[in-house]
Amino acid sequence: MMLEPAQRAGDAPRAASEQGPSPAPGTRLPAPTGDARLRAEREQWRLRRNLERQLHDGASLRISALTLQLGLLRHRAAKAECGDLHAYIEGFQDELHAVLQELRDVSVRIYPPLLDEAGLGPALREAADRVDVPLRVDVPEDRFGPAAEGVAYFAVVGCLEALRPGTPGLAVVARREDRTLAVDVVGVEPCHADAMLGAVGRLDGVIDVVGGPGVGTITVRIPCE
Amino acid sequence: MRVALAEDGALFREGLVMLLEAAGHEVVGCTADGDSIVELLAEEPADIAILDIRMPPEPDGGLVTAERLRAAHPGLGLLFLSHYAESHYLMRILQIGTESVGYRLKEKVGSVDVLSDTLARIGAGEIVIEPVLARRLVERPRGERKGIISTLSERELDVLRLMAEGRSNNGIAGQLFVTPKAVEKHIANIFGKLNLHADTTEHHRRVLAVLTYLRSQRNGD
Repeated sequence: MMLEPAQRAGDAPRAASEQGPSPAPGTRLPAPTGDARLRAEREQWRLRRNLERQLHDGASLRISALTLQLGLLRHRAAKAECGDLHAYIEGFQDELHAVLQELRDVSVRIYPPLLDEAGLGPALREAADRVDVPLRVDVPEDRFGPAAEGVAYFAVVGCLEALRPGTPGLAVVARREDRTLAVDVVGVEPCHADAMLGAVGRLDGVIDVVGGPGVGTITVRIPCE
Repeated sequence: MRVALAEDGALFREGLVMLLEAAGHEVVGCTADGDSIVELLAEEPADIAILDIRMPPEPDGGLVTAERLRAAHPGLGLLFLSHYAESHYLMRILQIGTESVGYRLKEKVGSVDVLSDTLARIGAGEIVIEPVLARRLVERPRGERKGIISTLSERELDVLRLMAEGRSNNGIAGQLFVTPKAVEKHIANIFGKLNLHADTTEHHRRVLAVLTYLRSQRNGD
């Protein structure tokens, strides 16, 4: 049975008992620190992944089912010889395909489904196909959790998208270092590290840069599951 | 044809059953997960099983189910449906089987003609690949292959794209309104430029050669 989107997304409001004592009126809450902040940051990535699943299981599947129903209508219209009605219906089906393609583009930006289902290696290989720079991807099949995988993926992809055309080949090499996901981006200008720092830092990750100012290696280390 | 179907979205499953029946196919059974269709097909013979890739057993139940079905019924055709057309899944599908397999987007089988054409080609042993994905494979080949692909003529690119859809020479000829002999000549030229061996006359081996060429990384993949 298909679950309701809210149940699948796991974003149902928490029961009051889980939220702790409520603050006194008129007080300003302190910003979360340490573990609480890190937990909130990880939760954001889980939420992004769940939103992608919700789009897949909800709206997208409904639209796909609608194209089948239109297909049946088109078949009946063609048999009943209703003028060019069947051609109109085909046009609607093409339009729904375009809608689904746009939803797919949005999904990939929220949280790539391939990253969720197959992990960092397949998702980065797919991303590599979208840029003109040759990229070698050497990533183990190991899983690192939605937060670390999400940050690593968007850090690398952001870097790829910022490359100048004509950049020679790069390599992305990932490995597990105990409870840390380490990713080397080899053959890039170290200045690209600045753009990665925000998201990596929010998960208590660190970035090391070797070489430069020309071509160097950026190494991202992110605590992971 | 006798068709069995596994898909966890009820609305889509019911729509597909109705469309299959309108196209004159017999639906021998439909289930909401992979394990149930394995049980169903142990009792009920079928020509083709249609499988949603992302269904229970999670995360990609369609693929693990297909492996079990291929082992139990080697002659059973397999059509994979998905919301995403990804080369990653195409390669996994081709590891399960390289004959009588298909991979299509869910919203693209929404016509009696396309559905019947897809099933007929799978029934005839072909590999059927979603045209959206085949086009992407040809337009964005991996790594250094981009340079070589750009040396192909417009017509050769059309032929390569249709080969990447898994179409037979006669199928390609029909799509391009040319003779099978002309298609044969284009294929020889393409294989020459890509430095692939065209000595095998078996159609699906040539399709595989083309797909592997477009997909492989320098360091293997």
